[in-house]
Amino acid sequence: MEEIIAVGTDEAAMSAAEAVAESEGTVQTAPKKRKHHINQQKLWDNIWGWLFCLPLIIGTCWFIYSTLIMAFLLSFTTFRTGGQVSMWECLAHMGDYIAKDLTGATNAFYWYKALFTEKVSGMDRVTLIGMGIELNEMGAYLLNTVFYMIGIPIGMILSVFFAVCMSRDIKGGNVFRVLYYLPCVASAIAIVYTFKIMFGSTGVINQLFGLGNFHWISEGVEGAYTWQNLTGAPISTNAFMMDPYWCQGFFMKLVIVIMSVWKGLGGTIILYVAGLSGVNAATKEAAQIDGANGWIIFWKVTMPDLYPTIFYNIVTSVIGGMQIYAEPEMFMNSAYSGGNVMVSGYVALIYKYGINMKYASRGAAYGMFLAVIIFVLTLFQFWLDSRKKD
Amino acid sequence: MDNENKDRILPAETSVTEEAKNYSSFRYAVGAILAFFGFSSKTHRASKKRAKLVADIFTYIVLLAGAFVMVYPFWWMIAGSFAYTIDGTGGSGLLEKMIWWPETSTLTIPTSGGGTKAELFFNYRTLFTSAFAASGLKVTYWRSLFNNLLYSTVPVVVGVITSASAAFAFSKINWIGRNVVFFMLLAAIMVPGPSLMITQYVMYSDMGWTENALVLIIPGMFGSIMTAFFIRQFLFGLPTSIIEAAKIDGAGYLRIFCQFILPLAMPAIMAQGLLSFMGCWNNYMGSFIYLSQNSKWINLPHAMYILNASPSSNLGVVIASSVMCVLPVIILFGCFQKLIIGSLMLTGSKE
Repeated sequence: MEEIIAVGTDEAAMSAAEAVAESEGTVQTAPKKRKHHINQQKLWDNIWGWLFCLPLIIGTCWFIYSTLIMAFLLSFTTFRTGGQVSMWECLAHMGDYIAKDLTGATNAFYWYKALFTEKVSGMDRVTLIGMGIELNEMGAYLLNTVFYMIGIPIGMILSVFFAVCMSRDIKGGNVFRVLYYLPCVASAIAIVYTFKIMFGSTGVINQLFGLGNFHWISEGVEGAYTWQNLTGAPISTNAFMMDPYWCQGFFMKLVIVIMSVWKGLGGTIILYVAGLSGVNAATKEAAQIDGANGWIIFWKVTMPDLYPTIFYNIVTSVIGGMQIYAEPEMFMNSAYSGGNVMVSGYVALIYKYGINMKYASRGAAYGMFLAVIIFVLTLFQFWLDSRKKD
Repeated sequence: MDNENKDRILPAETSVTEEAKNYSSFRYAVGAILAFFGFSSKTHRASKKRAKLVADIFTYIVLLAGAFVMVYPFWWMIAGSFAYTIDGTGGSGLLEKMIWWPETSTLTIPTSGGGTKAELFFNYRTLFTSAFAASGLKVTYWRSLFNNLLYSTVPVVVGVITSASAAFAFSKINWIGRNVVFFMLLAAIMVPGPSLMITQYVMYSDMGWTENALVLIIPGMFGSIMTAFFIRQFLFGLPTSIIEAAKIDGAGYLRIFCQFILPLAMPAIMAQGLLSFMGCWNNYMGSFIYLSQNSKWINLPHAMYILNASPSSNLGVVIASSVMCVLPVIILFGCFQKLIIGSLMLTGSKE
């Protein structure tokens, strides 16, 4: 009782003192005030920190995380766009819309199973069966995607070579950097149309290299393309080299690889030039004095220093390479018809089922599988990297 | 001067020594030629200056050849846009044969009287007036150009500012949950876009955004994670003492951001803004996935795809439209190349 009173009086006394001090403007109360001020500062720090970050957080949660969760859930349902059920309703009553087998039995993983069992369909199937081939659809599209990745090592070697040339002490190195970067800023669709005509059967490339009437690109209109052999005649034989799937598609994919290497070179060159400028000059000089020639210096001094840049570049290129979609579609004019078994990348399947054929659930399942592939590939690369360091 | 003379005399001296007699005259000659081109051998030692000169010449040849390969398609595109390609069959033969200059340029357009007339910008005129309607598009060229400008300015300007504000919060303010949020954003980068394509499409069409331009404007306004990370790296380089001083002077965070951070980080913000402008200008996928072929809101690359795919397409006009799509970005890049390349170099050295 006494204590309480004491405390009470103490507080009262203090507040009174404070009031007096405040009115008088003395320094006695300064420590207490500052403490109070710091707490307020921390509060403002938190409020403003969150406020400044809020748009980005909202955007990420709304457009990336929520759609990711919805895609994951949708991939187990039978949801179709343009149907009577909206996506929200389907997700709210997921139990009623779980994917079913052809027999009617519930099978949540039906679309994932279809991914592995679905054969190439439509006109391609007719042509392929005529040639005695039956292809797994996902396999064919994934094979195309992997084929485009041969551009990654080619582009890497070329860009390291050019970057080494540019980082020499020569005049006009900056001009070259700008010129090499031009294709990176150009619109992909404009580049595709230019390359398509340049690689035409009577085009520049055939004229310059004396390749005669070589058909790099199969010609056709949207949705229906003609199967031709390399001289342009319609095919009528099952001979292996006349097989358009392995042969003609091959050269067309090669053109796309050339184009993507050409288009991406400038960006990687700049990364490598930046990486090369960080190479330790002192180590280089020491190696030179010890009698190492340029070749040995490059492999033993420059490359180890450049390794982080190369690794970063490979990881991002593989992630980007798995998502290739627009270039092959523009080459074949097959974007609206939902891809082409000869050239389209895996993403074309997602578009084909999810948007073109309106099976959003199926497209979502295919998309989830792509995310898993990319995740595993990235993990694999980091595992290789960690093994190298040990 | 003295050093140079030494370098020059050195090979002569070494070649006269007795050891040189052991080599055959053929080997001696080869050594001399190699030394001329800057390679040292047992018979001759090349001067360092000569070696550098030869290496420089080699470098220039390689770089010029590479630059030719890089620039030639652009030259081809510009020259091709002046080709007259209407030959009745609608094929690409007339344009394909071109190497340096079109065989049938728009300077010799056949007239009904049997003569020729010159109209240098025939393809461009067709593109601006009748080509879009002829290929079944519901927009004119100017409308799609306006759409493209809209999609590549409004979201980019707003998005870069929101990204910069997030970067400011990450680099200069201490708040609870900062690391958790940072990790969450980092993880979001790893989610591949095509995996989300379908649900985003369904969500946007449910909200009614795919009937107008909102789908290509609103999401971009929330900022980009990569841009935020880059500006954050840049802001780490700025001294915190400026902000402390401003705080002591009584400035709030909003004022610090507007009056200190935005001007100081302008190079990084400009560079990132320009890069995203170029990305949005060339963005074909967004318009293609979300907007229908008959929409009034489709952008230039999407319209170009339809223009090219239509059976009535004239390839000269398609190439002219390619030039019109590429030219603005190239000019913009030419004006700001120092800024953009500098910022890219910074990203490269950070990795």
